[in-house]
Amino acid sequence: MKLQLCSYSGYKIHPGHGSTLVRNDGKTFVFLNSKCRRSHLMKRSPREVTWTVLYRRKHRKGQEEESSKKRTRRHQKFQRAIVGASLTDILAKRNMKPEVRKAQREQAIRALKEKNRAAKAAKKPATTAAPKLEKGKSAMQKVAKPMPKPKMAKTGGHGGRR
Amino acid sequence: MFSLKKCCRITPQLQVVGSRSVHCSYTTRQVCKMTRVRVVDNSEIGKAAMLDGKPPKIIHIYSKIKYGVTGDKVLVTVKGEMKKAIIVGCHQEQKAFIPKFDSNNAVLVDENGSPLGTRILAPIPTFLRKKLKEMSRSKGADYTKLLSIATRYV
Repeated sequence: MKLQLCSYSGYKIHPGHGSTLVRNDGKTFVFLNSKCRRSHLMKRSPREVTWTVLYRRKHRKGQEEESSKKRTRRHQKFQRAIVGASLTDILAKRNMKPEVRKAQREQAIRALKEKNRAAKAAKKPATTAAPKLEKGKSAMQKVAKPMPKPKMAKTGGHGGRR
Repeated sequence: MFSLKKCCRITPQLQVVGSRSVHCSYTTRQVCKMTRVRVVDNSEIGKAAMLDGKPPKIIHIYSKIKYGVTGDKVLVTVKGEMKKAIIVGCHQEQKAFIPKFDSNNAVLVDENGSPLGTRILAPIPTFLRKKLKEMSRSKGADYTKLLSIATRYV
């Protein structure tokens, strides 16, 4: 004999106990005892009757142990490629060692200084000044990009001051 | 004993009669002669009768007692014809382990016990497996045929 659950209270019905009711629409109800059966016939919802399993589930009684174990989902940070730089570029720049970065910076500064001097020298003869300045500026802009922003922004802005 | 006020709510005519309490006997819900029964299979006559609003009426119960019980064979009038039927569910509370139904259900059957319909849509008590086997006789009527067209057991 199969151990059934009361369709009203949710308790187990051992063999030899309980009664069954079949409604005209075909729904079957198994009741543990006349208490459950009468409550059902009185149209009392088991969700409002305090001693039933359905009520306890609805009002989450006695389930604190299970809920505390539950963990909240952690959001995963995910590195994405941007339009200007692919994923490999971003990772390369991030993982660059500080010595390498410093060396790059110094190199860039030196290159800029050279170009500024060249630009100044080129200013004296007025005709050759314009194309050279433009060249210098575009080169500076190209070099400025990979550098940490706050430092180079200043120098990039004031091209000829140094 | 209920008060006059309650009587008045049901039928205002009682007020004229005077304060008299009405006594009703407990409804036994027995299946007996003249009981209207709900056909639960998909036979043509059964369906037509239920649609008409004139369900089959029991005119004889093949039993030593004057009321019927789940599994009893019964003589029934449907649409002006006499047919045999088997009660597959009673509104009355039956013996232990037999489920109680909200209506008296019956399946139309012919002389040999083979059902007139091809399918029984309502749930059927498993108790019938034993009962119908006892009723059936080899080389006679075989009432267990209707178990083969049943779809759900309770």
